[in-house]
Amino acid sequence: MNLRLSPQTLLVLDAFLLHAEDWKYGYDLSRITGLKSGTLYPILMRLAERKLLETAWEAGEPGRPPRHMYRFTPEGLRYTRANAPSPIPDNLGRVALELGQR
Amino acid sequence: MGSPRNLATRLLAALARYAPPESREWASAMLAELDFIEGDWPALLWALGSAAAIARHAAANCRSWLSNTKHPKEEKMESTGKKTVGVLSGAGLALLLAFAGMGIVQFIGFIFPDSGVEHMQWPHFLGAIVIPEIVFVISAIVLWRKRPPVALGILLMGAAIGVHVAVHFATH
Repeated sequence: MNLRLSPQTLLVLDAFLLHAEDWKYGYDLSRITGLKSGTLYPILMRLAERKLLETAWEAGEPGRPPRHMYRFTPEGLRYTRANAPSPIPDNLGRVALELGQR
Repeated sequence: MGSPRNLATRLLAALARYAPPESREWASAMLAELDFIEGDWPALLWALGSAAAIARHAAANCRSWLSNTKHPKEEKMESTGKKTVGVLSGAGLALLLAFAGMGIVQFIGFIFPDSGVEHMQWPHFLGAIVIPEIVFVISAIVLWRKRPPVALGILLMGAAIGVHVAVHFATH
């Protein structure tokens, strides 16, 4: 698979690796990784187009629009575990902290 | 709602409505996240970044579409155009070689005026016709498999020069 694993892409993949089965939201991913929307979304789009991420709409509370959610496909999880280097400890700690605070 | 947030909402709502179909879902996703961003200015920055992401996504899709979809007629025209350029370049090269042969003979006559080359017919015949025609045939054989249009151009120009010389000798 032709996917450029830039440092930003690795950050996003790291964020998805923790609690990989859980759905994640765009803004939460932005806060966790520290990436702005202009950097984060192109990465999410590429991952989704390559079927590494699945997307879904969460029915929101009344009066609020539904939210878009993302999580690894089985193929995405396999690919990340096989190709992405092990998460950077500092980043992993930050991701775990952020997820714990939610 | 502060005006920066208002602007952010309007921007993303417009993108969700008017973006190309393949980017609209993403624009809607970015719009939905706005409600969870604390602060008006961060919301505006989120919307601006999102707009840039949508623009890049749409541009990438457009480029991909343009490179993948070629009308069969367009492809045929492109192929015919390439062949024509090949034939013309072959003919041009052949003509250039014939002129170069003629030029060499003239140059020898200029350097050695006493040799009388300028007034002899056979050096012209040899330099402008015989040697170039041999080169034409050899290069056409070599190029026939790799660049058939160029080889054809060389052969056509060689034939034209040959006919021209034959007519010249027949009439003079």
